Amino acid sequence: MNESDVVTVRGLTKRYGGRLVVDGLDLDVPAGQIVGLIGANGAGKTTTVECVQGLRRPDAGTLRVLGLDPVTEPDRLRTMIGSQLQSAGLPDRLRVGEAVRLFGGRDGTELLDQFGLANRRRSAFGSLSGGERQRLFLVLALVNHPRLVILDELTQSLDPAARRGVWAAIDQLRTDGTAVLLVTHELDEAERLCDRVVAMRAGRVLDAGRPAELADRYGTAVTITFTLPAAASPDPGADLGWLRDLPGVAEVRRQAGHAMVVGNRAAIAHVGAALVRAGRIPRDLNVELPTLEDALIGLLDRADADLPDELACLEESGALR
Amino acid sequence: MNTAVGRLVRTELRLMTREPLTVIFVFVFPVVTMLIIGGSFGTTPTRAFDWVNPSHWYVASYLTVVIAATGLIMVPVHLASYRERGVLRRFAAAGFPRWSFALGQLVTGLAAIAAGSAILLIVAAPVYGLPPLHDAARVIAAFALGAVAFVSIGVLLGTVLPSARAAQAVGLILFFPSFLLGDGGPPPHVMGAALRSVAGYLPLTWVTDAVRDPWLGLGTATGSLVVAGLLTAAAAILAVRRSAL
Repeated sequence: MNESDVVTVRGLTKRYGGRLVVDGLDLDVPAGQIVGLIGANGAGKTTTVECVQGLRRPDAGTLRVLGLDPVTEPDRLRTMIGSQLQSAGLPDRLRVGEAVRLFGGRDGTELLDQFGLANRRRSAFGSLSGGERQRLFLVLALVNHPRLVILDELTQSLDPAARRGVWAAIDQLRTDGTAVLLVTHELDEAERLCDRVVAMRAGRVLDAGRPAELADRYGTAVTITFTLPAAASPDPGADLGWLRDLPGVAEVRRQAGHAMVVGNRAAIAHVGAALVRAGRIPRDLNVELPTLEDALIGLLDRADADLPDELACLEESGALR
Repeated sequence: MNTAVGRLVRTELRLMTREPLTVIFVFVFPVVTMLIIGGSFGTTPTRAFDWVNPSHWYVASYLTVVIAATGLIMVPVHLASYRERGVLRRFAAAGFPRWSFALGQLVTGLAAIAAGSAILLIVAAPVYGLPPLHDAARVIAAFALGAVAFVSIGVLLGTVLPSARAAQAVGLILFFPSFLLGDGGPPPHVMGAALRSVAGYLPLTWVTDAVRDPWLGLGTATGSLVVAGLLTAAAAILAVRRSAL
């Protein structure tokens, strides 16, 4: 446990009936960082954040959030957290301005302006579009200047422009030193926003790290493509041999006048430098980086491959009988 | 009072006035039916009405129609719809104490009953006249106990039923037989034995007797008042347990 951690979870376990939903999960969220929980449906992400907020009582494990125990002091803790929950609504006839005063005790004019809702202050919640509702939930989550913000499916139903606005607001929270715990299916969002992501499956942490680290570890390789400015040799690939020897390069191919170099992230700099040195600077150099989405798919595939072994162990131990 | 609980209660009171179901069942329905039924039997005292003016008999009975409409329809539908839409979850996550919502429902329910009853009496006064109160203390006690009992029953139903539609269906099924047999329908003396026997088991019958009898000087209705008190205690305890007060 680190002094700067706003959330510290150790060995969190939660069952619904006999079904194990969160299985011995560890999680740290430091101040001024955005930590993302990613994974398929049913991975246990939402249950984890509900336990962190004290909305559900864990079956085992210890939780410390802003110095408080969510199990014994949930009411006090929740006033210090801003949260935007999945599938939690408001009364249809409650007006936007009334909702802000109800949750924050003040008008929240600045936030309503920031999220483009100032002109909807007198509108009933039931008359708002999906995107406006989502933005209002964010305003309500932030209106009390919380030290920890929990966001579950942050940009669901938002158009691209609104999404960018919300991302900018979340970035600003990090700058202000607020800790953010983000639950998302949108992996481009996690990649764009998160300092650290925790990949979950069946209630367990599969791996955690910076998005780029996970992308490198489990994603596809870097692909660099460009048109060679010099005349092609009659022997396909003959004038690309010098690229093949560069550090980080795994494979070089030539296709219809284009070169394709596959390798790790280090290859990007080496290939670029080599092209400049050779005076063959392409106009259309394109780099395709491994994405977090590739990484998560790779990680889940790997976990699926391990699953038969786990099932065999469980069968052996009699747990499935 | 700018505390979270104060803001929640004020918001709930405001929302109550915007809810069509509340306006119709708590504020309009009792008045309209009281005007129709109260004028159907004339003003001459008869045996069927315990030798009191039938219009006064209904005016004294109809306050508890407001109580029943609030407790069996307004509160459960409101609460079940909040649960169904995740509103309670959002309030809980925002740090509103769990008990504050039950308190909000109690205050809102009692305010609806007070407002509905006031409207009823204001309309009845120039049309049928208000019967004099023979035992004001007992009438007020029975009215207060009945109001708390039925709001508690409403909270209980709202926390048990899975959706607003289910709450509305169950609420209407409970409300209309109670209304017709135990309150605003034909007087017990003209009912058949079987219906009178069923009416005798309905909570609304006890509360109505406990309000009407001391109001019109028909008796003290101590038995009904005691049953209303026990009903209040039981319903309040169960409602408090269900809403984790």
